[in-house]
Amino acid sequence: MTPRPLRLVIRPKLFRITEVSMKIRKAVIAAAGPQQQHLPLQTLVSPSGETKTVAAFQLDEIFASGIESAAIVIAPGTERDFSSAIADHLDKVTFIEQSEPLGYGHAVLCAKEFTGDDRFLVTMIDHLDLSFAEDSCLKQFLSIAEQTSGPVSVVQPTHESKLHLYGTIGGSRVGGHENLYEVSNIIEKPNPTVAEQELIVPGLRSGNYLCFFGVHVLTPGVMELLEEAFSSDVKKLPLTSSLAAATRSEKYLACEIKGLRFNIEEPYGLLRAQLGMALSGENRDEVMGSVIELITATRR
Amino acid sequence: MLVSLITADDPAICNRSLAKACEPMDAITLLAECRELDAFRREAENLYHRVRAIFFLQAIHRFHLPEKLPTEASGSIPFEGYQDLLARHFEEAIDTFLEIQEKDGPSDGISSALAAAYHQLAFQTLANQVRRSVRTVRGNQWMFRMGHPTDHPLRIRPELLQQDEHLFPVICERTPVRMDLTHSAWSDIFFLGMDFPQGARVVNVSVDLAVHGRDSKPRPPVEAYLRIIDQPVLRLTSIDLKASAEITALADVFDFAKDYLGLLKAAVIASGIVPPGIEGSGKSLAALLARIAGPGRGIEIISSVNDIPKGSRLAVSTNLLAALISACMRATGQTQSLTGELTESERRLVLARAILGEWIGGSGGGWQDSGGVWPGIKLIEGEIAAEADPENGISKGRLMPKHKVFDTTEIPNSARQALTDSLILVHGGMAQNVGPILEMVTEKYLLRSSAEWQARQDALDLLDQIVDALSKGDIRTLGRLTTENFRGPLQTIIPWATNHFTETLITRVSEKFGDDFWGFWMLGGMSGGGMGFIVDPSRKQEALNIIHDIMLQTKRELENALPFAMDPVVYDFGINPHGTFGELHRGEVALLPPAYYHLSLGDALRTPPADLSATASAELDQFARACRTDPAFSSSVEALFDTLIPRTEEDANEDRSLDELLKKNGFDRAQHEQIRKDLVGGRIGLAQNRLPANTTIKDVRAEDITDFTTSTPNSENLVLGEKALQNGEVGVISLAAGAGSRWTQGAGVCKALHPFVRLKGRHRTFVETHLAKSRKRGSQAGTSITHLFTTSYLTHQPTRDFLDTVANYNYPGPLYLSPGRSVGQRMIPTVRDLRFAWEEMPQQVLDEQQQKMRESVRTALIGWARGAGEASDYTDNLPLQCLHPVGHFYEVPNLLLNGTLAGLLTERPQLKTLMLHNIDTLGADVDPGLLGHHLASKAGLTFEVITRRLEDRGGGLASINGRPRLLEGLAMPREEDEFALSYYNSMTTWIDVDKLLDLFCLTHHDILSRDQDKITQAIRAVASRLPTYITLKEVKKRWGHGQEDVFPVTQFEKLWGDLTTLPEIDSRFIVVPRSRGQQLKDPAQLDAWLRDGSAKHIESICEW
Repeated sequence: MTPRPLRLVIRPKLFRITEVSMKIRKAVIAAAGPQQQHLPLQTLVSPSGETKTVAAFQLDEIFASGIESAAIVIAPGTERDFSSAIADHLDKVTFIEQSEPLGYGHAVLCAKEFTGDDRFLVTMIDHLDLSFAEDSCLKQFLSIAEQTSGPVSVVQPTHESKLHLYGTIGGSRVGGHENLYEVSNIIEKPNPTVAEQELIVPGLRSGNYLCFFGVHVLTPGVMELLEEAFSSDVKKLPLTSSLAAATRSEKYLACEIKGLRFNIEEPYGLLRAQLGMALSGENRDEVMGSVIELITATRR
Repeated sequence: MLVSLITADDPAICNRSLAKACEPMDAITLLAECRELDAFRREAENLYHRVRAIFFLQAIHRFHLPEKLPTEASGSIPFEGYQDLLARHFEEAIDTFLEIQEKDGPSDGISSALAAAYHQLAFQTLANQVRRSVRTVRGNQWMFRMGHPTDHPLRIRPELLQQDEHLFPVICERTPVRMDLTHSAWSDIFFLGMDFPQGARVVNVSVDLAVHGRDSKPRPPVEAYLRIIDQPVLRLTSIDLKASAEITALADVFDFAKDYLGLLKAAVIASGIVPPGIEGSGKSLAALLARIAGPGRGIEIISSVNDIPKGSRLAVSTNLLAALISACMRATGQTQSLTGELTESERRLVLARAILGEWIGGSGGGWQDSGGVWPGIKLIEGEIAAEADPENGISKGRLMPKHKVFDTTEIPNSARQALTDSLILVHGGMAQNVGPILEMVTEKYLLRSSAEWQARQDALDLLDQIVDALSKGDIRTLGRLTTENFRGPLQTIIPWATNHFTETLITRVSEKFGDDFWGFWMLGGMSGGGMGFIVDPSRKQEALNIIHDIMLQTKRELENALPFAMDPVVYDFGINPHGTFGELHRGEVALLPPAYYHLSLGDALRTPPADLSATASAELDQFARACRTDPAFSSSVEALFDTLIPRTEEDANEDRSLDELLKKNGFDRAQHEQIRKDLVGGRIGLAQNRLPANTTIKDVRAEDITDFTTSTPNSENLVLGEKALQNGEVGVISLAAGAGSRWTQGAGVCKALHPFVRLKGRHRTFVETHLAKSRKRGSQAGTSITHLFTTSYLTHQPTRDFLDTVANYNYPGPLYLSPGRSVGQRMIPTVRDLRFAWEEMPQQVLDEQQQKMRESVRTALIGWARGAGEASDYTDNLPLQCLHPVGHFYEVPNLLLNGTLAGLLTERPQLKTLMLHNIDTLGADVDPGLLGHHLASKAGLTFEVITRRLEDRGGGLASINGRPRLLEGLAMPREEDEFALSYYNSMTTWIDVDKLLDLFCLTHHDILSRDQDKITQAIRAVASRLPTYITLKEVKKRWGHGQEDVFPVTQFEKLWGDLTTLPEIDSRFIVVPRSRGQQLKDPAQLDAWLRDGSAKHIESICEW
């Protein structure tokens, strides 16, 4: 069933009200980073008890949320591994090789031809979501993004002690929407000294900032900004600086959704992701019992 | 009605002077106004309304009400209120005092207590607000929330973690200092800037410095270095203070007074490396460092001010703090760039953090002090608080000012060069504390005293004219304007901005250079330290040396009278175009200043090479290479050698000279050893000074005193006194043997010679003032009065020399000096006495951060006393600073012993009476009425007492076990007993010479025949009947370039007032007006003394 278009009552100067859903059909998935080449091939047990690879989890959710085709940006020589990990979705997937590790922004830029004139979803292969709502995290996000025309990012309130891990936005709440923000500034991994001066979002608890969740809907305009920023002598093309530039050229929004996201690259990231899934699934009691047993047995 | 001065919007009303408004009011109206003001301040929501009302109350109780009270009623001050005051429970203290005022009626005493309580409450309220504002500055807030190492959000920049040949790179931050052209009458004090932002305006210049004749060329004087080390510690080094510490515990980072590294610690905290929020968390410093720098790693920070002396008035320490904070912020990614200049928002943050750092360290001046962070010449102005600011609704202005850096179209390069070509920048060498001045300025601003308010407006006009002259490169006009600023607004508001030293310099430079001397320029808070002389550029080179010589000569003349920390210096300077500037040094050039290695390499050199870590080896290699190739390191080998093998010869010389001094001044070794034995054995000490707890101490009865505050001596007595004066039967003894410890905080100069105030257009010393009174009384009586100053080992020669220089101030009568004949040697205090002084005796609790600082100092001092040996001789200072006078009891016996009395009696055989007074009892003179009263009473000793105010502490007139006598504060068995006593001892004593000799069982013949043995025996006999008090005094130790430490030392004394305990001599007591009996103990009293009419009174009884 096609979701009913959301009618957002938003001040016109902030962004255009759309009656018609601007459907997002394409996704770009970054999978070329050094860790991204192996970890996504690890298997996990889903909340329903099914065993599959991290990459398969991602692809399942992406296509279930209405995306029709995806480009996976990979490091040279890794296509075979990914193909076997996502065998069910191969018909809708295009592999694009990033010849050199020139950064996340560059990985997205590699998919320029694939995205063409369309807005597109950007995510990473090594991140997993856990929704607290009926809809998956991606579905929640896309249903908001499809009501807008500019770039949109998912954000989550994050304590200042974790700022060094994330891109962080500054902005203000969009009137009438509890979880929607107009973004005025984006800084990659700021420290709280800078964040307090430039990234305060009214209404958040003190010491908390809105940090990227790792999922965006971007526009052809952002692709152009990436292209402008890229030249032959660039050694790393980050995504965040082009997103920051986009706040000055387009109406850039951010939204909160009901869910958790796990970066499996972090220390114990895979374990946390697995525990999160297990504790929210059918076997919650059994897993809890095992965890408590472990805690007791390893008590010092 | 007075409330309307505070609440009115109309400037004509709200800027009206309180003094003018109080003038027509009588006591009853003033008391009613006080009730209204007190109710208002309790309700007022606006901070500045509240504070102004409190200052109004303070001023009324200090200056306006007492003079309108019907008589000098001797109301008592409740001890309970006093205790609250000490504990900083100001509101409770005020309530207690008001209750007593309500119950017993208003009095001078209770008003003095209320004035003190309101004064402290006002400053506490203001300080709290500044602190709140500092915490709410964006960029600072998170540091107060962070309480656990795992939450630490900062990370060292990766560039600093990459070792090159085992060496970590070094950040070097170089910062100029600031030289203020005008601060518009201290308008950058936080309190002023926040209440009167439109009047908070400063022009200051960032300058590089060199000490003329010592350094090759000017450079940014302030340097901070930071690097990563492979040990999980915080290693801090201050090159100038020759101090270094490896800190391993979090608590030690917050212990500022433990060593000389307080400023570096404040920077580490204010920059967020160890954020203030983590204080007291008990967490591990290593864990915190691991979080930000990586496991097993630590941070090393080094500061250097290139031996620029302290007290330069160029804000060296604030700019050093700012440089350290900048380096720490760069290292932790809190600035965009690791090197180069800072962005404007980063500079502002450095300023905010420097304010925070100063607060943490318990100090703080104004916001212009971090001026060196900005480049060139700038106008810094207060800003009105906007709606989104944390200050909104609390104060009119923001905490932080805005900076406008002038570009070369506004102030062309030629003008900058012209300034450099004409200005001689100097450090006069005086050691001063600007703190009291900043308080005075704030208070006067809030009271809107008319002359001072006008002066503030004039200062603002002058700023515009100064900028105009500067932009035109018209330095002659600039010189005229800075002089006008100094002579006009600055001294109108704060007369203490100048002093005799500065005035003498200006006169001499002016005489030497005539029209080529274009002006004087006061730097910072007061003159005497950093100052500027503007001369015709054609004479600058010559002036550099001449002004240096003039300063040195003037210092030599005055060094016994004024506290100097060092010899004067002249600076070469240049305008700095960058502000604070960072560089990153890697590999071979990752060097620290040579002096750092002299301090730190000793241990490494003593370690066998095989035991050195790879980093330590690499560092040694690098140092060795630098010594061979880098000219800056050319003398390093010798310097290192000196630190490895310390010299001992000098110390031996000093010991010898102390022994000689002791011998020369009649030191009694046997008595000294007995005192040491008694001290160690606990038989004497601070606790043992006190009378037994069962002593009954009561206030004296009316019949025990004669009160001359409500009546004057009768005419018969007046005639009697006048006659005695005419006959030359009376002489004056001014006690001038003491060093005036409180006056200069133990600087060891002669208080008597201090030109402390301008009277009749000139700075006058205590000696001159006392002689001027005797001159007047003498000339009124048609005769001259014998005047005598008692001196000591410390004051005799300087006083003699000084009086010779000024030709005895042309005093017409006989003028004697009576040198001391007894001296003691100071001792290291016992821990027991230190604890007693700090824990058992009532103490003024300080403001939160200052109190922390004080506790930290005390812990360090207890460690010092233990380490140095309790009750051992104090010898670690200049020999003169190791001696002490043994109490003013001995000063009169000394007259007997040293032949002075014999001389007096030979010259004036008719001499019958001596009036003895303290050097700081300025109102005491030979009043014929009081003299007549004394003569008529036939008393042996007549002591003058005054009604008590809160500040009159240290004993008083008491009835002890039914007998009236003077009781020293040291002997009070219970602190509260003092508060039951109505009268305070002024020390002024009328002495009947014959009866005094009777007490000593001596005759005129014994004195005139100089029978030394008999006199000595007689003195010992009387002295043995008087108690020996153990006291703790503060002594300054000067070292380095203008650095000073203050130590408590133990000494003993016997006191004059205890003669009242002896029944053989008839002691009487008279109450005299406060203007006659009050004493000036502390320079901080001077301003009020000038304002409350006391100075005028003194002028009226003097003839210069």
